[in-house]
Amino acid sequence: MTPEQIHEKLKTEFGEEVAFDFHPVSNKDRDAWLQVAPFEIERVCEYLKTTPGLSFDYLECITGVDYPDLQKIVVVYHIYSYTQRHRIVLKAFLDRADPAMPSVVNVWSTANWQERECFDLLGVLFEGHPDLRRLLMPDDWEGHPLRKDYEEKEDYHGIPTVRPNPIELYKIKIPGKEEAKAS
Amino acid sequence: MLMAYASVAAFFLVAIGFIIGSMVFGKLLRPNNMYAEKLETYECGEAPVGPAWFNFNPRFYIVALIYIIFDVEIAFIYPVATVFKRWVDQGNGAFALVEILIFVAILMLGLVYVWAKGDLEWIRSIKGDPRGVPNTQSRTRPAAPITELAAEPAAARDALAQGAE
Amino acid sequence: MPSDQGALNLMAPPKGWGDDKYRDDGGSVIQTNVDAVVNSLLNWGRSNSVWFMLFGLACCAIELMQTGGPRGDMDRFGSAPRPSPRSSDLFIIAGTLTYKMALRVKRLYDQMSEPRYVISMGSCSNCGGLFQYAYSVCKGVDQIIPVDVYVPGCPPRPEALLEGLLKIQEKIKSEKFLQMRYGTSANP
Repeated sequence: MTPEQIHEKLKTEFGEEVAFDFHPVSNKDRDAWLQVAPFEIERVCEYLKTTPGLSFDYLECITGVDYPDLQKIVVVYHIYSYTQRHRIVLKAFLDRADPAMPSVVNVWSTANWQERECFDLLGVLFEGHPDLRRLLMPDDWEGHPLRKDYEEKEDYHGIPTVRPNPIELYKIKIPGKEEAKAS
Repeated sequence: MLMAYASVAAFFLVAIGFIIGSMVFGKLLRPNNMYAEKLETYECGEAPVGPAWFNFNPRFYIVALIYIIFDVEIAFIYPVATVFKRWVDQGNGAFALVEILIFVAILMLGLVYVWAKGDLEWIRSIKGDPRGVPNTQSRTRPAAPITELAAEPAAARDALAQGAE
Repeated sequence: MPSDQGALNLMAPPKGWGDDKYRDDGGSVIQTNVDAVVNSLLNWGRSNSVWFMLFGLACCAIELMQTGGPRGDMDRFGSAPRPSPRSSDLFIIAGTLTYKMALRVKRLYDQMSEPRYVISMGSCSNCGGLFQYAYSVCKGVDQIIPVDVYVPGCPPRPEALLEGLLKIQEKIKSEKFLQMRYGTSANP
């Protein structure tokens, strides 16, 4: 099925409020994507997985993007079907101040760690997730690193997080350059 | 007569001396720098969880026990093998052979008992008891090969599962 | 949030032996000539059997494996890989060190017995390397444990790592072992 047909099917099943804003493949978008209302994501994914013509059985990736100018955090789902061999991208736009949405762990089990990574690096809370804790950063890390306004702390348990540039430390003097700078 | 044991005593003393010497020199030469983090139990870098002592599988005990019995049997057969030629030359070859065969036969009774009781298998099963029969049916590979992709994956998955059973 | 592995003071310096105060003439334990002979014997034995702990974290681990392989043979210098810190003299940190792993590295270094040496292999463990501006990368392993030899490279060739091993051997041979063990009358 083409992405347009998938969009039509979703629109007839769920309506315009849930599946909207379809973008076909273009120079800007390499995959066709459509927006999904965040709190309906689980119903939509369940439908996409179980419907015989769609049968999206493989969740490739869940990622997140931080748009501070739009004040949104977008959670992107790439899903693929091995039997039907088609692919679609779903995006859920969340409010940046309080990003929360249901988890799709009951549809695809692989979402478990993907959502943990999204939580770890962007701070998106997934409701219904059985084990939402940090995946890549240490458990007692503060902050969500992939946010655009993330500030690294000075040290972590005593380890300094910056290292001075050794060239500046040792002040290697190259004779020709010194004169060139002075003149 | 006692001088024959002198070489045994020499070996013994050298062995003891070797052990004591290496321990003493080690103690004299190695640095001794104990602190709390060094004395922690090693758990591949993680903080240790749980006790270090735990129950081991008693199957290892069974294997060791059976091994001991038959190893001692072999140890008893070795001297017979070394002097056998001499007995044959004296004309008592048949007597020696029958004697050692009786010894082996008595222990073979033990082996047959252990075998029939299922103690030689890792998972013990008494003959006829289905719990111990090794599982040759795969639980994941389907019975029939997949020839075409199904249009409805859920129904196909159920059909495969039923076919495997 | 559960804390990671409890309180672990990473910046507490490991209480060590092997300070450098005996590098110059710092006195003798038995008698100067005897000391020198015994030291050279002990150091000869120690330097020709440096057993290293396999700690390959990232791409440098592949070069570490090849250094132990047939062409860049480390076994000809007496080095053998060990899985556990308890039985190793040398700690080769090959690869990128993240903050999550830094806690474990400190613990493993603490669990090694003296005399112990550290080789930092590759740019990532020297200074953070390619990932120096990353949020999760520790900028060099010498922020956690004291390093004896830095082997630059990304990844260093097996020959470069072998040179690092030879430098460790030189360092071992130049140590005044008896003085460090017993202290001298001049420097107790």
